[in-house]
Amino acid sequence: MPIIQTKNLSKHFGTVKAVNNLNLTIQEGEIYGLLGPNGCGKTTTIKMLCGLLKPTSGSATVFEFDSMSRKFQQDIGYMPQETALYPDLTVHDNLTIFGKIFGLSNSELARNEKELLDFINLHEKRDVPITDLSGGMRHRVSLICSMIHKPKILFLDEPTVGVDPELRLNFWKNFNELGKTGTTIIITTHYMDEASHCTKIGLMRSGDLITEGTPADILAKTNTRSLEDAFLAFTAREVA
Amino acid sequence: MVFTKSKAPVITRRIFLGLKHDRRSLGMILFAPIIAMCVFGIAFSGEVEDVDVIVVNYDSGAYIPMLNINISFSEKILGNIDTDVLNIKYESDEEKAMEQVENGEINAVIIFPEDFSRTLVQTIAAASGEGNNSDIRSPADFATSFITIRSDNSNVNVANAIIKAFQDALSKTMDEYGVEAPVGLEVDPVYAEDAEFIDMFVPGIMAFAIFLLTTLLTLISFVGERTQGTLERLMATPIKESEIVLGYAMAFGILGTIQAMILMVIGIVVFDIIIVGNVLLAFLIAALLAVVSQAMGILLSSAAKREAQAVQFVPLIVLPAFLLAGIFWPVEAIPTWLRPASYFIPPTYAVSGLRSVMLRGWGLEHVWYEISILLLFALLFLTGAVAMLKRSRR
Ligand SMILES: Nc1ncnc2c1ncn2[C@@H]1O[C@H](COP(=O)(O)OP(=O)(O)OP(=O)(O)O)[C@@H](O)[C@H]1O
Ligand SMILES: [Mg+2]
Repeated sequence: MPIIQTKNLSKHFGTVKAVNNLNLTIQEGEIYGLLGPNGCGKTTTIKMLCGLLKPTSGSATVFEFDSMSRKFQQDIGYMPQETALYPDLTVHDNLTIFGKIFGLSNSELARNEKELLDFINLHEKRDVPITDLSGGMRHRVSLICSMIHKPKILFLDEPTVGVDPELRLNFWKNFNELGKTGTTIIITTHYMDEASHCTKIGLMRSGDLITEGTPADILAKTNTRSLEDAFLAFTAREVA
Repeated sequence: MVFTKSKAPVITRRIFLGLKHDRRSLGMILFAPIIAMCVFGIAFSGEVEDVDVIVVNYDSGAYIPMLNINISFSEKILGNIDTDVLNIKYESDEEKAMEQVENGEINAVIIFPEDFSRTLVQTIAAASGEGNNSDIRSPADFATSFITIRSDNSNVNVANAIIKAFQDALSKTMDEYGVEAPVGLEVDPVYAEDAEFIDMFVPGIMAFAIFLLTTLLTLISFVGERTQGTLERLMATPIKESEIVLGYAMAFGILGTIQAMILMVIGIVVFDIIIVGNVLLAFLIAALLAVVSQAMGILLSSAAKREAQAVQFVPLIVLPAFLLAGIFWPVEAIPTWLRPASYFIPPTYAVSGLRSVMLRGWGLEHVWYEISILLLFALLFLTGAVAMLKRSRR
């Protein structure tokens, strides 16, 4: 049984078909990369999967629950595309608030907080308000804020934007480790080098899923050597 | 079944944590009411000067046989009026004079009756024992001379200044003659009825400050939640919409109570008000008003996309409350056609409830009406806020 499944999932904003008849199947422990140009519907898809947006038609199931049922929120973590944190609160306070909302005990919170600050290498900013952090640092805190309760599924909308290369590499190492321990990750990115770390890739264009497969599959299909080229090949093919 | 604790207190905690770092909002909560109260208090308690009044003097004087003169006490009294305070004009036509009060050109008409001096002389004579009647013990047994003041009380402190000017002139005149005579001031308000400004003022400004600041802070805070994306992040967690709204309600209920406490202390220390009623009941009303106001703030936030737009709501919040809630003049002083609007805005009930509790010393048996209406507003707006949040998942 897949952990996430969508059936003709669609979202229309007026005449804009943000997501169009999307059929996805994601297995437990998979790192699924949603790729595609600006406005192709990646964020809209993730929001529907989290139960934040109601599909115009079609449906999605998460842990066998309907996406709008609000029965699985305890087990998912969502990192929005924009840094969504309380700017006046410190890093520690933001983590505490969201941890408490997930019902963590103080000791669990302390343990997870330490682990996650290690992960993003930001211990020295623990008691600094978000407003006083650099853009990349905020993004890092936003990421761990969605991981504070160790969710079974992580929805990460462009988690590596503005993060320096060394840390990005570290992020992916961590994501892969999480995948091995059974955490499912749905991730969007515009960096093709990162996409190669995914176990599966879905390529979207104008609300449609145009191809899907492992990075190797995709390369084979297009007979290209980099995902960058593969991506361009697919978009060119569509236009032609 | 697993017992799941309400997550509302986490939201409350978040708001207080935010205030700890956001000194601007904290200052607004703590100091704005104090400043408002002092500014209004000093502005309204200043000396009133140059009040225009019309005197209609029917007094035909009194003949004193002993001295063989005709004496007019009304003129003596008018001569003793402090001309800094009152600008006196004379008019023989009472109706014409009243017209000028009604259209606001003049603040009051003062009427001396025809027998004003005669009655006064009789009373003084009787009191000094010249009537040789042992049954008469005090001047009060005699008819009292009356001065009628028909004033526009919708500006209460102007009306009070007129009364005070006449009282002063009266006692000065009586002192000159070395007599004590009962002269009644019959005050006949044209618009508002018995109100003393400072009495109305403290509970009024209390309700106004709580209403305004709570609505505004919730509005800004909630627009922030939307634009920062934290609301969306919250919506992806197991927290319920009702818990978010309740968390806000608790935070602002507590803040409203704190504001009420501060204002009471200022009222007592600076303005010498005496609170006769149950302070806890007053706090309850203050907290209820705060809860209603914060729910209104959340509801309004759905109409504002950015913080700047939220600020445009300020006049919309301030003006009706300022004009219609009975803060500076009683609801009864508001034109009848506009009065229904007063009954549709929550601060009206808080003002009247707080006034009844703090100044009249009324208990729950009297203010249950105001409290139930505030509860009703709270229920309505809180439910509305929850429904609005649920609608955002579309
Ligand atoms: N709330 C909304 N109202 C109207 N249109 C919307 C709304 N949200 C998204 N859209 C439209 O839906 C389309 C898909 O948007 P979406 O945010 O899902 O793109 P995306 O793939 O995440 O893009 P990016 O890479 O820039 O993040 C766009 O055309 C966008 O303009
Ligand atoms: Mg996006």
